[in-house]
Amino acid sequence: MSIAHEFNYERPQNLHSVLELKDSYRNKAFIYAGGTDLVVNIKEGLVKPELLIDIKDLAELHKLCLDNGTLYIGASVTFTELIDTEFVKQACPMLHDACKTVASTGVRSRATLAGNICSAVPSLDSATPLLCYQAVVHCANTEGVRNIPISEWFLAPRKTAIKDNEMVTGISLKIPKETSTSVYLKLGRYGGEDLAQAGWGIWMNTANQYRIAHCALAPIPSRAALIEALLNGKELSQELIEAAVALIPNEINPITDIRSSKEYRLHVSGVMLKRGLLAAKDRLEGKEIEPAKLLGGIA
Amino acid sequence: MKEYTYIGKDVVRIDGLEKISGAAIYGDDIDFGANLLHAELVSSTEAHAIIKSIDISEALKVKGVYKIFTGKDFPYKFGLYMKDRFIFAQDKVRFVGEQIAAVVARNPGAAKRAAALIKVEYEPLPAVLDQMQALADGATLLHPDLENYPHVPWFFPKPGTNIAHWRKTRKGDMKGGFNEADFILEDTYTVPRYAHCAIETHVAIGKFDYSGRLTVWSSSQSPHTQRHLFAEALGLGHKDVRVIAPHVGGGFGGKAGVTMEIIPAALATKLKGYAVKLRYSREQEFINTYQRLGVVAKLKMGVTKEGRITALDHKIYWDAGAYVEYGANVVNAVGLSAIGPYRIDNISIDSVCVYTNLPPGGAYRGFGYSEMLFGLESHVTRVANELGIDQIEFRRKNAIKVGDTTAYGAKMNPNGLLECIDKVVKAIDWGNKPAPTNPNTVIGNGFSLFWKAPAMPPNASSSAFLKFNEDASINLIISGMDIGQGYQTVMAQIAAEILSVPPSKIRVETPDTDRNPYEWQTVASHITWSSGNAVKKAAIDAREQILSLVQRVFNLPLEELYLEDEAVKCTQDPSFNLPLKSFVVDGIMTKDGTFKGGPINARGMFMPEFSSANGDPETSQGGHPNVHYTVGAAALTLEIDKDTGKMRVLKTALAIDAGKALNPDLVRGQITGGMLQGLATVLYEDMRYDSKGKLLNPNFTDYKIPTAMDVPDEIIPIIVEVPQPDGPFGARGIGEHTMLPAAPMVANAVEDALGLRIKSMPITAEKVAMAYLASKKQ
Repeated sequence: MSIAHEFNYERPQNLHSVLELKDSYRNKAFIYAGGTDLVVNIKEGLVKPELLIDIKDLAELHKLCLDNGTLYIGASVTFTELIDTEFVKQACPMLHDACKTVASTGVRSRATLAGNICSAVPSLDSATPLLCYQAVVHCANTEGVRNIPISEWFLAPRKTAIKDNEMVTGISLKIPKETSTSVYLKLGRYGGEDLAQAGWGIWMNTANQYRIAHCALAPIPSRAALIEALLNGKELSQELIEAAVALIPNEINPITDIRSSKEYRLHVSGVMLKRGLLAAKDRLEGKEIEPAKLLGGIA
Repeated sequence: MKEYTYIGKDVVRIDGLEKISGAAIYGDDIDFGANLLHAELVSSTEAHAIIKSIDISEALKVKGVYKIFTGKDFPYKFGLYMKDRFIFAQDKVRFVGEQIAAVVARNPGAAKRAAALIKVEYEPLPAVLDQMQALADGATLLHPDLENYPHVPWFFPKPGTNIAHWRKTRKGDMKGGFNEADFILEDTYTVPRYAHCAIETHVAIGKFDYSGRLTVWSSSQSPHTQRHLFAEALGLGHKDVRVIAPHVGGGFGGKAGVTMEIIPAALATKLKGYAVKLRYSREQEFINTYQRLGVVAKLKMGVTKEGRITALDHKIYWDAGAYVEYGANVVNAVGLSAIGPYRIDNISIDSVCVYTNLPPGGAYRGFGYSEMLFGLESHVTRVANELGIDQIEFRRKNAIKVGDTTAYGAKMNPNGLLECIDKVVKAIDWGNKPAPTNPNTVIGNGFSLFWKAPAMPPNASSSAFLKFNEDASINLIISGMDIGQGYQTVMAQIAAEILSVPPSKIRVETPDTDRNPYEWQTVASHITWSSGNAVKKAAIDAREQILSLVQRVFNLPLEELYLEDEAVKCTQDPSFNLPLKSFVVDGIMTKDGTFKGGPINARGMFMPEFSSANGDPETSQGGHPNVHYTVGAAALTLEIDKDTGKMRVLKTALAIDAGKALNPDLVRGQITGGMLQGLATVLYEDMRYDSKGKLLNPNFTDYKIPTAMDVPDEIIPIIVEVPQPDGPFGARGIGEHTMLPAAPMVANAVEDALGLRIKSMPITAEKVAMAYLASKKQ
């Protein structure tokens, strides 16, 4: 399919130039890193940028490190790089799990986490670990940097808190000091790449603290505050899990779309929360789990 | 049995290196130089409407636009079996996505920009989006002038309705049959539409030169049929139309006949000297090529308590779309065969082709039999279970045998159906199920028989040219398409066997209708059988030329001469050994220095002269519309997560009677690929339309085709060989059949595991989970 839209292309050699271009073009300029969403959107006529600003030459945006309990992920770090980095897997298992479920091998090798959160679709797998690990999104403009908590980032489907003259330079996650673990469960329609019909991320620690987030079940990916409040401080038990599952209708607001009915999303969320909590507990106890196999079918 | 040298051997594909090395040239790869123009279509946004006006004024201003064409430039009808289709919509549009106009520009971007600026004004008409609605009294007619449409003599349209064709098959005494029954089961099964999803989208390039000859390069399964339809629709002589078919990146029936290829062919005739390319986007591939037809099937089966089928009433209503020039033959084929591979004395089949305001239905691997078998093989399982008879025993008891009468009165061909059943039962360990891997899952086994005949006009034919080169290598010049099935390799094996030349010394190229002899189409799983017979005859012709030359020159008895190891040998004189390369082009020098013989050029042709479509319109009795059936059996073991509904095929076995597997490895490849394609249609594929007839999932984001991740844990391919008397070395086709049993056997396994009968496809995880949830609440 050809690209009918005509646009300009720049590949600046320093961040300042990127920000100056962004400042002058505002929403007419799009940051181009992986391009896996952007190029498709241009082809389909969904966006009509005047300028693409390619940031792939900027080494500073390609930083990925873990320092003093903070995991820093630069704007041009790809999903494949995240998956292949051992300290990411150790520090943030849910992020590792979630990244592995995004799109396909080819797309993951180009697509970036930062670009992914800018698309802000309701089914955003990567949002659940960011929500549970209380991520901060670093947005820069010519004036300086604004740090936006992930809880304030998603405003509506495909709408974020970023401003016209800003770009995401990186994302920081807080890695807890105490012993904790996490898991991400995704339900798709078949064994290949798919957008989530439902996604649940579960974090827990040895002190029975819980953080739970979901995607594809509400207009924006969200934390499950009611369920967290119920669980916090309590040892997992059959009864407690049942009580948590019972809160799901109050916690999510799914729709019927081509991927799933609302009713199936409500039903299967109970199954996912239950299996996810048990899997997180297993992981906390040092057992090997394979999240992709927890929901049955081919994985 | 005769030991063959190349037949029945796992010969490596002769086109393999070309394809995996990237050397193979596909339609979009061909460079047409500076005179190439690009076409972009303007498509209907309405399912049914009168076109009031088309405003192209803004589009013409776009830089790079060369010309814009609409329906008034091409007031022609075309079609394979019924002429009901237009190159561009005329006064009306009949489905969302129908082509209304084309912009031709210097580059694809300009064409696309301009196409977006064309304004079409519509006067909407009521749309009929479902076949049952289209059959209701007072339904809007899609084709009010149906009575004037030319069609093949074996179609029976009902003017004044939306029925484009009604195939009726009647045999025996229905009333008596049902009276005799101890048990009768009646139910309805539904199957949605499906898309082929070949990885290479449709592409065709037309060029009309100043001498008045039209050349079309086309990704096609049917180069000769395309040439014929282009000539017919555009008023050109056949010798002046040339179709060149480069390699094809997948067909599955979607590139049979003519769909979009007629557009660049027609545009070219108005743009002398230019090449005009039309390449479909993935979205266009979904919305405006053939689709598999949707089905509502009403089944009524009577059985005795001993398990003999006494009567079958099978009514199948097909959602055939806005134009049925190809799809109506799907309806016809199934209407002759909707008894499945069973011996039934009392039969009533109504296979009804219904116009709807959805994209045209057409050929899709299986040609309607998958849709028919979903209902029939679900029903057979239920009937057996209700009677308390083992479903395998029930199938064995009623299985059709050689010499039994088919629904239309002809005799069933030799077949190994019972052997297929037995081998599948053994391979899958039927009756024993593995233990579930965890407490959330249950295991079910499902079984299904299948059959299918090639659906062809009675005079569909194949032909072959064969020429020897100086080194005794061969160019085999044939016109079938290798669409992944291994056609070129198998044809080379046939020639190799007859001529004792290894397949690696035989070149088979993709066809060019100017140089290659006639082939009807690469469809219907008939190409191994039909083209194979033509190739065999051509090879025999070459052998006869060779041996008679040797006889003439050396004065040896013809019956003592034979070919072996690329040489002519003599049974009575072991020292006689004349290498083919010494004479197949240059001839044989005699004592006086003169040469005898010359280049060996051979030809072969095959037409099934016993076939006839002359059945009675009210009963279908009397003709011989199908040349033979290929039969088989399959089973699977399915693990189901009760709570999520997710399914996993732990093991599946499929046995097919190939007559003779000319290349067993390629047969096993078809079984694996067909099984995967069939499982996808039942587990997750599904075309979904909104209430205005717009396709909601024209993309791989929401129309899922299987990946490597979706392959069953274990696939057991089983080849049975009961020879087809008129097949090359006993072979018959197997390509389409391998996907036929997938859907019913999944439905049967779900019932076996959960006690739930699902009667509509697809059987998604969601459908299973919600049905199980509802059953728990009851």
